Amino acid sequence: MHEKHGRAMRLNRRQFLVGSGAVLGASVLPASARAQVRRGEIVAGLSERMLTLDPANHYSISSTSVLRHVFDPLVEVTNDSKFVPALAESWHAVNNTTWRFTLRKGVSFHDGSPFNADSVVFTLKRVRDNTKLIKSFVYQDIEDVRKDGDWAVTVSTKRPFGSLPAHLTMLGMLPPGAAGQEDAFFQKPAGTGPFRFVSWTHGDHIVLSANPGYWKPGIPKVEKLTVRFIPELSTRTAALRAGELHVIDRVPPDMVATLKASPGVRVLDIPAIEAQRWHFQLAKEPVKDPRVRKAVSLGIDRNVIIKDLLLGYGRPVVSPIPPGLIGHTSLGQKAYDPERARQILRQAGYQNLSIDFVLMKDLYPKQLEIAQAAAAMLGDVGIKVNIRNLEIATAREQRSAGNYDIFFSGWAHMPHDPDWYLGQWFTKAGAEKLTRFADPRVEQLIAEGRVPDPRVRQQKYEEIQRILWEEEPEIWPYYSVAIYAISDKLRGFEARRDYYVLLYDVSIG
Amino acid sequence: MRRLGRSPMALAGGLILLVVVVASAGAPLLTSADPLKPSFGRRLQPPRALGGASAYVLGTDNLGRDIFARLIYGGRISLTLAGSAVVLAAGAGVVVGLAAGVLGGRVDDFVMRLADVQLAFPVIMLAIAFVAVIGTSPAALVAVLALAGWVLYARTVRANVLTIRQLEYVEAARGLGASEVRLIAWHILPNTLAPILVIGSSQFATMVLLESGLSFLGMGIQPPQPSWGVMLAEGRDYLSNAWWLATVPGMAISLVVLGANLLGDGLRDLLDPHIRQ
Amino acid sequence: MRSYILRRLWQSAITLVGVSILVFVILRVIPGDPAKMLLPEGAPQSAVEELNRHLGLREPLWVQYGIFLRSVARGDFGQSFQYRSPALRVVVERLPATVQLTLVAMLLTVVVGVSIGIVAAVRQGTGYDYAGTVLAVLGQSLPNFWLGIMLILLFGVTLRWLPTSGFQGWQHLVLPSVTLAAFPTALVARLTRSSLLEILNKDYIRTGRAKGLAERIVILRHALKNATIPVLTVIGLQIGTLLGGAVITESVFAWPGMGKLVVDAIFFRDFPVVQTILILSATVFVLLNLLVDLLYPVLDPRIRYR
Repeated sequence: MHEKHGRAMRLNRRQFLVGSGAVLGASVLPASARAQVRRGEIVAGLSERMLTLDPANHYSISSTSVLRHVFDPLVEVTNDSKFVPALAESWHAVNNTTWRFTLRKGVSFHDGSPFNADSVVFTLKRVRDNTKLIKSFVYQDIEDVRKDGDWAVTVSTKRPFGSLPAHLTMLGMLPPGAAGQEDAFFQKPAGTGPFRFVSWTHGDHIVLSANPGYWKPGIPKVEKLTVRFIPELSTRTAALRAGELHVIDRVPPDMVATLKASPGVRVLDIPAIEAQRWHFQLAKEPVKDPRVRKAVSLGIDRNVIIKDLLLGYGRPVVSPIPPGLIGHTSLGQKAYDPERARQILRQAGYQNLSIDFVLMKDLYPKQLEIAQAAAAMLGDVGIKVNIRNLEIATAREQRSAGNYDIFFSGWAHMPHDPDWYLGQWFTKAGAEKLTRFADPRVEQLIAEGRVPDPRVRQQKYEEIQRILWEEEPEIWPYYSVAIYAISDKLRGFEARRDYYVLLYDVSIG
Repeated sequence: MRRLGRSPMALAGGLILLVVVVASAGAPLLTSADPLKPSFGRRLQPPRALGGASAYVLGTDNLGRDIFARLIYGGRISLTLAGSAVVLAAGAGVVVGLAAGVLGGRVDDFVMRLADVQLAFPVIMLAIAFVAVIGTSPAALVAVLALAGWVLYARTVRANVLTIRQLEYVEAARGLGASEVRLIAWHILPNTLAPILVIGSSQFATMVLLESGLSFLGMGIQPPQPSWGVMLAEGRDYLSNAWWLATVPGMAISLVVLGANLLGDGLRDLLDPHIRQ
Repeated sequence: MRSYILRRLWQSAITLVGVSILVFVILRVIPGDPAKMLLPEGAPQSAVEELNRHLGLREPLWVQYGIFLRSVARGDFGQSFQYRSPALRVVVERLPATVQLTLVAMLLTVVVGVSIGIVAAVRQGTGYDYAGTVLAVLGQSLPNFWLGIMLILLFGVTLRWLPTSGFQGWQHLVLPSVTLAAFPTALVARLTRSSLLEILNKDYIRTGRAKGLAERIVILRHALKNATIPVLTVIGLQIGTLLGGAVITESVFAWPGMGKLVVDAIFFRDFPVVQTILILSATVFVLLNLLVDLLYPVLDPRIRYR
């Protein structure tokens, strides 16, 4: 009895000393000498498999999330779409076709080599020149990358590339030593990030351990991070409820009640920078006719979809570009007016319309449900909708061949910037094998909107969206809401609008 | 038929199947609800007995559609598709197995190697290839399902034939000049019937599950049409919070399997030449 | 017999070559573009073409096959399109999990299935027989995913006796192997019962039943031998199928097995991985079926091959 008490006393005293020491230390010592209090392990469960350890070789949200822990980009984006310094301390547009980045000093890679301009030049030139890399096509506009001393880099581009900083938030910096031995490098990759790579099993899980020398103080807050990939919804949620996972993503609205009722679980949600979009095949009868598209738009009750099917986890769309991004504006909500839809079809002489609605299997939560709901609504208006829920590869082939009337899709603006979305889907070249959209006014405005000046971009994008709102080449049924569920042991987790699950400043205990 | 009456098991099994078939065929008489009509405000209602709205005996699904209605209308499709597939697979498999076992030699080798080749391919892949060539009609779906199932019959029958072929009384019959066909019909086939019936009555569930998995290729049933396979697929993501969506069709499948098992085992008992009646 | 074995081995080689050609052709003929699957929806057509070229998919079919054969001879099955790692490595990584699950499930199937079958046959018509029937019906008809998820919810979430998913220790094997074994166990139980009954019901057996325990055991052993062949056939096919067919169980339990790997690879049009797995599984099937065929005469000396 006495001994136990004594020991407890001693521990308390020690804890007190350590605690007060830490407080004193925090206020007196420089950041690097402060005691790093890292404790514990976080296990995350993501729904999308990660496919590669090369930041330049994927466009997957899941891979971006995970690799962000191992590699740092030049620029980081906050949850409200502000671009903040990461490995670049500052940057600015010298002119319409030139960007200059000033780099952070005193950062090293996990293998000990220093981060400097050579790394940036290598990373950017690699992604541009190696056209086998998935991100390569985005960087083709880069003319040259030149170092300006060891701590600055100038990037010149062939055409204005205003969205370059946004794209760079997704490109982790690589050490120049990886050149020539990339296969070996990516067996055990070294970045500058808050975690070091330990091991991974393809498509199953990845293990990371804390990087004690990380350049940001107090980060990371845990010793070990394991990310498991569990596409099966019931299993992912069961593992969280059983305490085996601390955070899961992609929670559908129907599971929220069950999770909230589970002890030790909290549910977080936030509107995402993603707009669902059902795009028309603009070269095909009958949806080629804007009146038919208008009737379809009027025939869909978006509020019912949000309220009853999404249980409120969706937001009405007021412009194709979601809130928070440059270009967002308010054009009012699309009306639901089935009577007017019927009238338009009658006046245009359409009877017994039948259209094909193609879905890509399992890509979006509840997509089949929502598509069936829309089909039922359109049936009331006199349009028969044939739902074709296809395997992804086949669906995309059908789209290229033009064999669809409406296609169920979405767009999550991963680089928090709408330029990619507009450039891909609303230019003639980009949309050729997709929607067959072609409008010279829009094309011109998109080109003009590529300049770095945000005020010019805002104005151009608003004009573009006014045209699109009128023409209705797509139906935008709702903005998505991202739902996450976490263990209540987690502290500091931020529900992100871009679906990234970032855990380096999250602690457990 | 009269002999059927002598096996209570076969009778029970046959009765169960009859009830299921009749219920599905007579679906419009059993319910006035529309299996296709969504009711967005009434989603995920539990069955009446568990506290759900009284209008819905078996509750509603994720679009508010009446599950009972979907069950019996869906039964038509599943019973037809899965049933045809089992019959086709069994028919083809038995014929091939007999040929391999009786004719032996090169025919045996060729056919069995063909089976080996096919077995290496996952059903999904065969289905995709089928869709590319033949399309997504229900007939194509039945063909794919049958393709997935025939080998088990073929190999089992073949093994059985190999055993029986050398039996003394068969040798004796052969010695007396009986033709191979006669041998097959009178001696070999009845002895291979038992495993065929067992396997066949097991496969129904497998076929429904396969159909469930293939629906997304555009094969078989496209939404909003119900089939038990579609209902299972739709219910999969709701097992944690609305378990009746997938459990109800699962129980229907169990019922059919029970009936088929009892009928199969009963028939086996009846037709077993060794059992004294 | 030796000439039979040699003949079969020779045929196996031909079969494997046939499978490799068939896989190769089917993959490249069905709709679906690997480059499109790798690149995001918003990638320009030029990028798609470029990537296809890089992946070697623009060469004539026979050229591609030639290159493939030459690499395989060196032990190189190509680079997985999805993972950008050697396909063989990606596949082999999944072997331990797959083999363990398959073996445990098969063990369960044989032990439990045969036991139930014996009890049901020996006690035909009693409560034990009916209980066996009920279990068999459930085993055959409960969808894999339903059983799996229910087990997870019961034992993983509510009771917390077992882990919900993943592949780490022996506890992780319990639920997936039970789920996977359900159907084959039921089938084996019914086949065992049916085969046993064939022997046990023979007239002379009936009259001899009064004779005593020792004789009954001899008869039972004889009956079991009769049951071995169909059961062996089923098991042989199940083992092979499990390699590529356990995809639903693997998905539900997040089990890093080959079933999920091959199905994902097919959807993704990851040709090298699909080719590797199919050739490997064809090899397994061919050898396994050869083994089973060779075991038939051992079990039943009356069987002879021409």
